Amino acid sequence: MTAKHARNIAFSGIVLIAGAIWIFPLYWALTTSLRSENRIIANTGILLDELNFSAYAAVLSNSKLPMWYLNSVGTSLIITAIVLVIGMMCAYALSQLSFPGRRALYLLVVASFMVPVPALYVAQFILMSDMNLVNTWWGIILPQLIVPVVVIVYKQFFDAIPKEMREAVLLDGGGEFVLLFKLYLPLNWGITAALAIITFISAWNNFFWPFLVVTSEDMMTIPVGITQVNDNFGVAYARMMALALLAAAPVIIGYLLFQKRVTEAVMISAGVKG
Amino acid sequence: MKHKIGKLAAATALATVLAGPTWAQVDVEWWDFLGGGDGVRMKALIEQFNDEHPDIQISATTLEWGLPFYTKVRTAVAVGQGPDIMTYHLSRLPLALEEGVLSPITAEDLETAGLSTSDFFEATITAASTDDGALMAIPFDIHAVVTYYNRTALEGTEWIDADGNLTNLSSVEDMTGLLTWAKDNGFSDPLSFQSEGGGGTWRMFYTLLRQQGGEMLTDGEVLAGDNMDKAVKSIQVLADWRAAGLIPEQASYEASVGLFSGKRSVLHINGVWEVPTFKDSAEADTLGYEWFANEVPQLLDSPATWADSHAFAIPNDDDMSQETRDAVLTIIGWMEKHSLAWAGAGHIPAYKPTVDSSEYATLQPNATYASLANNAAFDPRSKIAGVGSPIYDAVDNLIAPAVHGFLSPEEAAGQMKDQLQSLLD
Amino acid sequence: MSIANRRRRELRAAILLIAPFVIVFAVFFLYPTYKVVALSFTNAPLIGEGDWVGLANYTKLLSDKLFFTSLWNNLYFVLLTVIPTTVIALLIALTVSKLRGRMQALALTLFFLPYVLPVSVVTMIWSWMLDFQFGVLQPLIMAVTGKAVPVFKNPHWVMPMIAVVTIWWTNGFNVLLLIAGLRNISPDLYEAAALDGATPWQRFWRITWPLLWPVTALVLTLQLILQLKLFDQVYLLSNGGPFNQSYVVLMQMYREAFQLNHGGYASAIAMVLFLVIVIVSVLQFQLLRMGGRK
Repeated sequence: MTAKHARNIAFSGIVLIAGAIWIFPLYWALTTSLRSENRIIANTGILLDELNFSAYAAVLSNSKLPMWYLNSVGTSLIITAIVLVIGMMCAYALSQLSFPGRRALYLLVVASFMVPVPALYVAQFILMSDMNLVNTWWGIILPQLIVPVVVIVYKQFFDAIPKEMREAVLLDGGGEFVLLFKLYLPLNWGITAALAIITFISAWNNFFWPFLVVTSEDMMTIPVGITQVNDNFGVAYARMMALALLAAAPVIIGYLLFQKRVTEAVMISAGVKG
Repeated sequence: MKHKIGKLAAATALATVLAGPTWAQVDVEWWDFLGGGDGVRMKALIEQFNDEHPDIQISATTLEWGLPFYTKVRTAVAVGQGPDIMTYHLSRLPLALEEGVLSPITAEDLETAGLSTSDFFEATITAASTDDGALMAIPFDIHAVVTYYNRTALEGTEWIDADGNLTNLSSVEDMTGLLTWAKDNGFSDPLSFQSEGGGGTWRMFYTLLRQQGGEMLTDGEVLAGDNMDKAVKSIQVLADWRAAGLIPEQASYEASVGLFSGKRSVLHINGVWEVPTFKDSAEADTLGYEWFANEVPQLLDSPATWADSHAFAIPNDDDMSQETRDAVLTIIGWMEKHSLAWAGAGHIPAYKPTVDSSEYATLQPNATYASLANNAAFDPRSKIAGVGSPIYDAVDNLIAPAVHGFLSPEEAAGQMKDQLQSLLD
Repeated sequence: MSIANRRRRELRAAILLIAPFVIVFAVFFLYPTYKVVALSFTNAPLIGEGDWVGLANYTKLLSDKLFFTSLWNNLYFVLLTVIPTTVIALLIALTVSKLRGRMQALALTLFFLPYVLPVSVVTMIWSWMLDFQFGVLQPLIMAVTGKAVPVFKNPHWVMPMIAVVTIWWTNGFNVLLLIAGLRNISPDLYEAAALDGATPWQRFWRITWPLLWPVTALVLTLQLILQLKLFDQVYLLSNGGPFNQSYVVLMQMYREAFQLNHGGYASAIAMVLFLVIVIVSVLQFQLLRMGGRK
């Protein structure tokens, strides 16, 4: 028994060490960001041995990071809200109502999975330009509203709700919208939260599209801003790592706070129940 | 001329007064690619301008230097989302004409700015104009590569003269001698420059090519005649140094600067725009040695140094109001007249009155390397040349690999000739 | 309420409900899809009209050396990532799922965290760690190869290292899916097998592997499609170099459209990627179904 116990502890230890190695890049970014530039070049060990916040001060005062946060938060929230609402409504119709073209629409949504979205960027860029939306929030948002997985997952969950509950509300004189928002949505808050998290993360982390459609520094999102606007000259490793960590901080903190939900969200969105 | 400026000043003053109560303000969108030391100086200039001009507000964006900047410009101008004013490399002017992104600068425009073409070095005006002589941009500076050196380390050696300048470097062998000595004395990468490709490698290659009197382009032909051999020799020199460990392998731009400030290199060949970086860290006492900069020594047949110019340009935009355009021109005029501060970033102003001033004459290290202006070798004037051009692709894909031994110099130069020629035919 | 009445009401509700999605889908997805197909037969610039050139863009592709390099690099990258990431994720999932309670949560956090990072943060950190002159991992590389290697500048190292970075970044997602799959396997099966005296090895091959196969297949499929869409990491880490050894199809599409102003040709390139992904995913779907039957 004690031998088994000891083995368990040793096993846990090994896994945690592996985990620590896995996360080393983040640790190293932190250590670098807290050193002075000259010491970084002098190459002094891998221990966190200096707490110099000047790189953070320099980055916060010299970059438009706050603006990029705002753009990222704003566009990601709007994308998430719209994607969920329109996806939920469409899924409800697909799941509960019969109308001509229902099957065709569903197949179209499923088939759209196969289209690599970046292959459409040239056409979407032209479209945004025709609509005069290049370098605007809507330019960033609109093409990212296509998230077929939301429709499919919602439909699966709506399908699973017993018909009797639906009939009861209908007999009480409720319409389809009442049904959706008073019955189907409340029954699926869990999945809604999960889909919201997944949609938000992918919108927040999208690089390629905002990189194409944004032209001015003031409109950049976090992932684009930190790569497009930087000091190209001179040694700035501490500042670069400070910038990277500041850019990552919201998602890291968000993940640590809502860990369980995020984990669940990933599993549900891939159709695997945890 | 003076008369005009006076009139203009009066008009501007009047406009300011009239505009005062309503605070009508023209917002000018400014794009540049200036990071690091010269970026700091440019930001200071912009701030000063904004403070002095309540009626004009510059909002500045700094984008990534090189191809990313010019890609953004091209795309943004095409969809009518470009800036109102931007910095532009004159080496890229032929490509800009090809892309149609620039709005011509008329005589009236110059008048609004309070400038005249005769205020500028002629070479820069030529570089900023079309073949027909239409002005497309207003030159701001001439910048070149220089040799930064660790004076403390070289003190007392045969390569430093009584004034503390570099000396006894008149052949490739001399340079190799210095670098070998440095290697033996603890400098792991004696001569640092951006050896990974990009601008740094192009500047080295082109400087060596032109020191042999070689030309990239003659009558529409790439590396014609013995220019081919000269290109091979330029690559060979760099490849030999690399093989002997005298220059760093695949150093990125930042790393090349870091190697020099981290005392792993004794020499550093880079643009004058790094002057403020070393100036600032010497002042902050974090460098740990005495540095200085000289003209790149003549190692081959004739003196030559790669050079380019920054200029101000107005993107093509039919919707631009006259009011904004006037504000942009006011900015350009003001910048030219304050270009002494820009000279502090190492550059040689293109605006002659600044260069002729007594303050400029005492500015160091500018005054020491001012001689290079006579030996400046500008990029060939062609749509295949300039920052972010096909030549830069060839540098990344052929010259840098050859320097690192993945290709022979002959192969690299040959393929470069073929590739670039096919773009011209 | 008559049935006809009810039907009409249902139809009206359905139209109202699907309208927002259908409109967005049509304007920002179907129309661009049509547009890319149409553009690929023209010589249009990025912004502006072009002329119909028939199959000219496609015939030009056939003689475009860079295009084949890019296509090959895409496939090479798939080889470098898809199976390795699945194997690594499986190993991690198997060990982490052996832990209990808090320990498991902690281990999972460590392995999943990179997945939530923006790609540019990931590439900034890794370029710094692998920096040729000052990178913290260079001593490690030196220990193996005898000398430091500028990995994103070396034609042999560049794709494998981009793959390493990509695996580090995206692996957490696969770990999660596989852990979910493992949790769905009933512990009774293992107990029964243990009673029968099966070795851990036998238990893995007879219980875990077959029952986990649907999830493993899902991971493989998702990874395959994801990795074919490679752009961000290449653009940010190596920019396609050295001498195009890491150029991929989407890089070339970007370059043609946005740097060289060839909207038509870029669309033709996008079409090929589109076709490759459709073909590969259909093929893989078939293969995996066969694998599942065994």
